Formats: sequence, structure tokens, C-alpha cells
Amino acid sequence: MPRRDSGARRKAVRSDHGPRTTDHGPLGGCHERPDARAKVAGSTRYVADLALPGMLHAAAAVSPTAAARLVALDTAAARAVAGVVAVLTAADIPGANLVGVIFPDQPLLVADRVRMVGDRLAVVAARSPEAAWRAAALVEATLEPLPAVHDPVAALAAGAARVHDGGNLVKAFRVARGDTRRARADVVVEAVYHVGGQEHAYLEPQGCLAIPEGRTRITIVASCQCPFYVQQAVARVLGLPLAAVRVEQAPTGGGFGGKEDYPSEPAACAAVLAFATGRPVRFVLPRELDMQGSTKRHAMVIRHRWGASRDGRLRFAEVDTVLDAGAYAGISTVVGERANVSAIGPYHVPNVLVTTRVAYTDNLFGGAFRGFGAPQVTWAAEATIDRLARAVGLDPLEFRRRNVLDDRRRRTCTGQLLPRPVLARACLDRAAELAGWDEFHARERAAGPEREGLGIGLALYGCNLHHGGQHLDRSSAVVIVQADGSVVVRVGLTEIGQGNLTACQTIAAQALGVDPAVVQVWQPDTTTVADSGPTVASRGAHASGMAILDAVRRLRARLDPVAAELLGCRPDQVVLANGRAAIAGEPGRSVEVAAVAAEMAARRIEAAATGWYRSRPRRFDAESGLGAPYESYAVACHVAKVHVDAELGLIRVAEVAAAHDVGRVIHRGALEGQIEGGVVQGVGWGTTERLALERGRLANPSFTDYLIPTAADAPKVTIAVLEGAPSGGPFGAKGIGEPSLIPAAAAVRNAVVAALGVEIDTLPLTPPTVVAALGDAHPFAWVAEEENEDARSAAAPASR
Amino acid sequence: MDVAIQEVVRPATIAEALATLARADARPIAGGTDLMVQLRDGRRHAACLVDLGRLGLGGVRRDGDAVEIGAATTMDAIAGDAAIRGWFPALASAAGQVGGWPIQCRATLGGNLANGSPAADTAGPLLIAGAGVIVVAPGGRRRVPIAEFFLGPGRTALRQGELIAAVRLPLAEPPAGRRVVERFVKVGPRREQVISVASLAGRAVVGRDGALEQVRIALGSVAPTPVRATAAERALCGRRPDAAARRDAVRAVQRDIAPIDDVRAPARYRRIAVAVLLDRFLREVERG
Repeated sequence: MPRRDSGARRKAVRSDHGPRTTDHGPLGGCHERPDARAKVAGSTRYVADLALPGMLHAAAAVSPTAAARLVALDTAAARAVAGVVAVLTAADIPGANLVGVIFPDQPLLVADRVRMVGDRLAVVAARSPEAAWRAAALVEATLEPLPAVHDPVAALAAGAARVHDGGNLVKAFRVARGDTRRARADVVVEAVYHVGGQEHAYLEPQGCLAIPEGRTRITIVASCQCPFYVQQAVARVLGLPLAAVRVEQAPTGGGFGGKEDYPSEPAACAAVLAFATGRPVRFVLPRELDMQGSTKRHAMVIRHRWGASRDGRLRFAEVDTVLDAGAYAGISTVVGERANVSAIGPYHVPNVLVTTRVAYTDNLFGGAFRGFGAPQVTWAAEATIDRLARAVGLDPLEFRRRNVLDDRRRRTCTGQLLPRPVLARACLDRAAELAGWDEFHARERAAGPEREGLGIGLALYGCNLHHGGQHLDRSSAVVIVQADGSVVVRVGLTEIGQGNLTACQTIAAQALGVDPAVVQVWQPDTTTVADSGPTVASRGAHASGMAILDAVRRLRARLDPVAAELLGCRPDQVVLANGRAAIAGEPGRSVEVAAVAAEMAARRIEAAATGWYRSRPRRFDAESGLGAPYESYAVACHVAKVHVDAELGLIRVAEVAAAHDVGRVIHRGALEGQIEGGVVQGVGWGTTERLALERGRLANPSFTDYLIPTAADAPKVTIAVLEGAPSGGPFGAKGIGEPSLIPAAAAVRNAVVAALGVEIDTLPLTPPTVVAALGDAHPFAWVAEEENEDARSAAAPASR
Repeated sequence: MDVAIQEVVRPATIAEALATLARADARPIAGGTDLMVQLRDGRRHAACLVDLGRLGLGGVRRDGDAVEIGAATTMDAIAGDAAIRGWFPALASAAGQVGGWPIQCRATLGGNLANGSPAADTAGPLLIAGAGVIVVAPGGRRRVPIAEFFLGPGRTALRQGELIAAVRLPLAEPPAGRRVVERFVKVGPRREQVISVASLAGRAVVGRDGALEQVRIALGSVAPTPVRATAAERALCGRRPDAAARRDAVRAVQRDIAPIDDVRAPARYRRIAVAVLLDRFLREVERG
């Protein structure tokens, strides 16, 4: 559609990717979230609230051990339980027994070999959930133990037990620029970081409802982040064409990445049971099994050797990372890909060598989790940056200022040139200012057990999908203007609590110049929108927003002429704002958009349009790790203020100042909500959320012992929003979902280290980890030493 | 996942309750904050639940030289009760730290004890108060000293078919001129809704010369049951809580405890945490 605004205006519009509207509108405002009232009132119906006549309940029998050969499976006792309708094993799957997203390495039901605790052996459908789970517990498996490997570094060593026949190295990545071996540095820091995983802890557990239509078609209502993945998985296990599988997005109570890849598994189970019984089957995972069986944030072992000059300039960085993929590849290689190029952060480093290896183990398998590999490598990088600052005697803020990317030095570690303005320095300075960095360090602090510290975490986030996943980076939208002027919007990306409905509503309302209250955004359904890929990588608002803008553009090719006729002007003079169509430059003459809609309906003019978005192609060489892995980047800086009890190792994160490069604010409330939530989830990961894995079994699969922060633990979050850096997104917006989490734990770690004066290289910083790091510096270390000696000399009877 | 409850009985009298509890598959339920979770996880089993809510077992009352707290008194009620806050501040403090506030509004004192957890927050304060547990059985009542009540993780002196009716705390007015310091402190990685990895309840009676005339220490989550720290108490009695006494007590207390490594914390951490808690309590006593 031609644009005939002034030249300057045209340029601004092009860079904003927005259609012709005035700046007045809901953009950047804070209207009520469309889903808020129902959620607060408890009337939103999640999968577990759905019931259909004749519906059965599914349960799964799972392996209690991590590595074994399945010798025999006896389901007789399970079948005998009253209320049980079906017990299915691998042999009963009509299509392929396969749920791997990228690699065909994971069966839906174990046929011969168990590789992790929680592997499914059989699935049950029964008239009540109680009967289904009772029967599942009675499935008897004869398992012959096999050697297991639980340490990802050991898994890559020669002679390690093999998790899959092809060996334990799933994939390796690298970034090589310059020559790290020949680079000169005055100070060199070496460290090994052990970064733990994380449970997503979505409030609503995994669940879905499968509704068969004979044996020809099926509908799945799923709590998920990608109905299209679920569609593909169900089509595969049932042997159906994609078009015969309809997946409807259910209201979803949190995802955080945990509902990207994993929901295909319960959906495929429910689908197989629904086809076998001819009845609807609901499968909602109990919390313990959800935690034990679903994907986790990857644990990583990260080895660093970084060097700087005496005046505090980074000279080289070597990073060697091993990801614990667990028993199946899932999407671990994609996580590895992002971890690989995120390992250096927003710093100018002339010589870089990053190697990233993804290793199979017999642990729970890793998957997508808010940040997608970046939080772990950022945690390590920021720890090393603080170490180097101390080594050269510089304030950590000043050290970062000397090395951070800016408008002059704007090449990332992969050699990609960032467009101006680069806001890394601005984010760093804003967060430091908000946190009162200088005032804090000007104050004297008494030595004693109650310590305080400030720490910085700075991250560079590649927006949207990596080059390796750009084939998925597209999205679909449908916009329909109803005869009464209200608007239906449907996009292929999902609302999972993050606010995508709100973002889409705001974008559509802004583009059509109407009040957000007249725009109804509906959750996707695979029969109404085209495959739009997963709702991940902070791409929801970006990808769905761009598709909406495209649809509005196409729609306005039909709407504007009608409006022009009513107004008596040319179509290209029509502007839409405040619910009215007006003539550009003549605010006095206008007509309600609703009147234009009524006129379109009366004339039988098509008032619906589809829209499409795909990310721009770019060059990236996977072999060298050089090029443009992402279309654009966002910078995030968190400064944490902590109180540490130096004797009990207790950490209280009092405050986090968060400065974010967001491009443009779409909805202020949703944006701030994402930032606060990301900070709290990052703080939890960094401090109390420990996955206690014992030979592959999760020993704390409950919220009693897996400690996510409560409201009492949540820090005060102060937010600075920096707009204006280019993004390629709707109206110039960038994603916020993940940048809001990535630097938080690093900031906390650096604050705790500053408070205590000892390095801590293991995440999370639980009280025992902090006390252990203090070693002999702890005033009561002698207590444990004496006790050890007593125990040795007395060979005392084993304690409880 | 599989709660096989077939029946819930709501007796109006203790006699009725005891009659139902004679069944081997029956269990009493009050707040249910521990029991419901355990039934769901299969850690305890019951086909019949006997709801104690109508037995009138709640409430705090003065009874001569003692305070009697009904077994069904909620943590929230205990934490807010003026008499308990005045006489037994450690107990009020502990009750206010059980779970989160919604839990405190359901969980009862009797339940906290009957559950038999080494981490029961109210156990330590009752141990230093020298409380007695009033148990009713079809044959009559008996009083079990709190120090004999806990037998092991999840095990108590309560027999099948018995109920806790109340907990009796003797009132002991210290002689004139004495100073009493009483505290409850709990350590957990989170600020609220956390099961302690170590807790200390302490009560010290300090004479005019600053020496400890009486000191009682109880510890949670560091042994198979909540324990009195008798070795530490002996090391302290009659002494001023100065640096030397504190060090002796910290050394002695290690003999009072038998912590284990578990999913919440390693034994080493628990030993150090107990040392820190005891040292801090004694410093506070010394400061006055």
C-alpha cells in the first residue's frame, strides 16, 4: 500500500513497522488486561476444569530407575482395577512411537530401554483419576539395570556409559574470533562454574483433553506454548494427516518454556488412549510426576579463561561449556546454540574462543526455559567480569564501562554489527543509578554477620529465534472487523499468562485507531491460523504483532476506500484514530470506524484479512560461529542489593534495579509485570531453587522442598525503560519475557560475593553453599571439623 | 495421588470420637495441613477420617498454676493470644512461623505434635516450657511429658485410638530481680512457608550477677526428634554467658544433636547453624 506522508514521516513509519495512525492511542498505556477479571475471580476454565460426558482420565506408569533394559511388562493387575478401560504399551501405538522434536531419540512409551527416571512404560485410561493412578502403580516392569551416567562432563569422557548408541555427544558449537592463545593480557582469570537447573513451577500443571471423532479426526485442548508442535506429535503417533488433528489452545496457567516441547508427550498419550477407547480422555499430571518427568532448565558446567590488560580492557575470553541434556535431546541443541553465542555478553572482546557441547546423561531431560541457555552463561560471564575487575583493582561498574559495547564498538562476539543506538552503556548506567551504586559505595559498613552487597548483571539477548531456528520464525494472524465495529483478532501465538492477548489487543487497536475494548483477541486453534511456530524466545508480541499489522494493512486496502467515500476524500488521506476515520490534516471531518464497518457490511465488502510475518533472512556460519545469529538484540541490566547473614548463609534480595532496552512500550502494565516476574524467577533460580537429583531421581518434587520465592522473598523491583533502539518489531517493540530474567541471578551472585569477600561458583546460592564457600573463614567452621574428627576416631554408629 | 478415604465421621463428643478411632483404619483430622498431603503421597493411610472440629478442643485457658491450650487451637490463635505471648513468647513466635498465614489459620497445636516431625516448630518452645501432653483414650486420660512424647521421625507416644486433648504448660514466675530471656529462631532458605533446617528455642533466667540460674535449650530438625540440649545446658548453668561459656556450649551442643544429610540441608550445615543460633541466643542473654 503506497504511503504519501512526508519523507521524514515515511522514514519514521518504516522503521517503526506501523501503519498510518496518529501517536494517540493505547500504545504504551495501561488499559485493563482482557483476561484479568476472569483469572482473578477464578472463573477461567483450565484443562483440569473441563469435563465431557463419558470422559476418561489418563495416568502413566513410569520408570523408577534411570538406566535399565525393559525385560518384561505385566499389565494384568492394572487392567483388573475397577474403572480401568484401557492399559496401553508401546505395541499399541497406531502410528510412530516417537516424540522427539528434532532428533528421533525419544519414544512415547519405552519399548526396550529406560534412560531416565519418569520414562513412560504404559498409559492407562480409567473412569476416575484415582483408578487410573492406582492402576498405573500396579503396572509391573521387569527392569535389568544398566550402567548410568549422571555427570555431563564425565558423560563426554572416553569409556563413559552410553545413553544412546551413537555416543553421548549430541552436538558441539563454537565461536572463534581472533586468537585467544596469542592474545596478551596482564591478568588472567580461570574459573569453573557449576550452574544448576531449574523447575518451571508453572501454577497449572501440564494437561490436555483429547476428543476423538471416530478414528479419523481428533481435537486436543492443550495447556501449551505451541499448539502446532502438539498437532505434529499427535498426527505422528496416530498416523493421521496434520489437517485431521485440531489443537485448541486452552487457557494456560504459566509456561516459562516448560510448555514448549513437553506438552506433546501428555497430548500424544491422551490421543492414543482416546483413539483406543473412542472416548474423550483428560490427562492432567499430578505435581510430583510433572516435576519428575517434564523438562528442566539445563544444568551446565562452564569453564572460563579470560584475560584483561592492566587498565581493565578485555583482551581475550575462552569459554568451554557442557550442557546436561539429560536422557533425550529434545531441543537441547537449540538451547546450546543460544548459550554458545551468548557466552560473552555485551562486551567488546577482540579474541574469543567459545566451545559448547551438549551431552546426554541419564538425568531428567533439559528443555526450553525462559532465557534458553543464556542465563547460565551470563551468570558465569558476569562472575568472571567481577573477578577481573577485582584483579585489576577497578570498581565493577567502571570495569564494565570500559568494555561494554557502544555506538563505536558495536560488534558482538560473533562479529555481528549492532545498529545504533547501542543501549548497553545506557542500561548499565541507569540501573546503577537507580540502585544508588555510588552512594552505596561511599558509605562505611560495619563488619559483622549482617552484610550488605550490591552486584551487577548485564546481558545481551538475541531477540526471537536463532539463525538455526529461523525456519520456525513466522506467524499468522486473522483480523475481522464485525458489522458493529468490534474486531476479532486471532494469532498463532499463545497467551500463557505473559500477556500476549494484551499485547495483540493493543497493537490491533493502535493499528485500527480504535479503543482496545472493542478488540477481542482469541487463543489460537490449528484450524483457524497457519503454523506460527512456538510462543518462545520472547517473540510473542513481535511475531504476532507484525502479523496483525500485515493483516490490518491488507484490510485497510478495502476499508480505507469505504471510509474515503463517506468522508469525501482520497483513500490515502484516511487516518484512523480515537475510534474515528478522519482526513489527514483535517481533524474536523471524521466518521466513526464503526460506521465504516457497518457500511462495509451493507455493501458485502470482505472485512476480514489474514496477515503473515517472517523474520528477515540473515547469514550465520555455524562452523565458525560467526555472522548474524539474531536479527536484533536487547540489553538488560540488573543491579541487586542483598542482605547476607554471613554466619547462616541466608540471603535476602532486598531490591533489584532493572534497566531494559525494550524498543517501544506496547503496554506498560504487561511490560512491568514481565520485568518483575522475570526478576523474581531469576532470583529464585539463583538462590533457593535447587533440583536435588539423586542418581537421576528428583528428591524434592514438591513445593514443600523445591523452594520458589514467596511474596515475602520477592525483592522490590525498580524499573527503567529505555526506548528507541531499533528492533524490527511492531511499532519498534522488542521482546521482554526473557531479558527480564537473564541477568538477575548474576546480579545477586555478584552482590553476595561483594558482601562476603569470597567467590561462589555454584548456583544456586543456598545457605549450605554459602557457608561451604566461606570455608575456614566461618567463625564456627571448627564445629564441623571437630565433629568429623570425633566421628572418625569413635567410628560412631551411623546417624539416623 | 490416590486418597482412598471412604468415610468422614464428625463426632460431637470425645467418647464418640474415641469409639470410631478404635478402628484400625481410622485417623483423626483437625487442620489436615500435614495429614492431607501425607494421605495424597501415600505416606500415611486412612479409610476413615474422624474430624475433631466439633469436640470443643480449641482455646487457651488458665488452670491454676498452668495454662492449658486445647489441641484444636490453631497456630494463628496461639500466635495472637495475649497470655501465651506474655508467658510463653517462644511458643507464640513459633506458631507464627508455621507455614504461611493460611496454614496457620488451619493447623492446630495437637496436629503439629501428633505429626511427629523433627521440624515441628512448636515442639521446641514446649520442651523448654516443660509442657505435658494430655492424651485421652477409651480407658481415661494420661499426661505424657513433652520430653517423652516424640519417639522418632513420624512416631510419637500417641497410640492408635488415642487423641491429644490439650497441652498443659506450667507457669513459673521467676524470683524477683531475675531477668528472663525467651526466644524462638528458625532457619530456612526462604522467609516464609519453609520447613526449618534448624531451629532453637531458648529460655534463660539470669540472676543479678549476670549468671545463668536456669537455662533451657531445645532444638529442631537436627535429630530424629525435637531435642533438649542437655549437654549445652549443663555447660552453661551457673555461668555468665561470656565468650568462654558460649564456646563451651557450642561445643557441648554438638553432642546433643545427630543431624543427617537430606534434601533440605547437609548435616555439616545443620551443626554450624545450631552453633550460630546458640551463640546468638547467648549473646542476646548476655546483652540483656
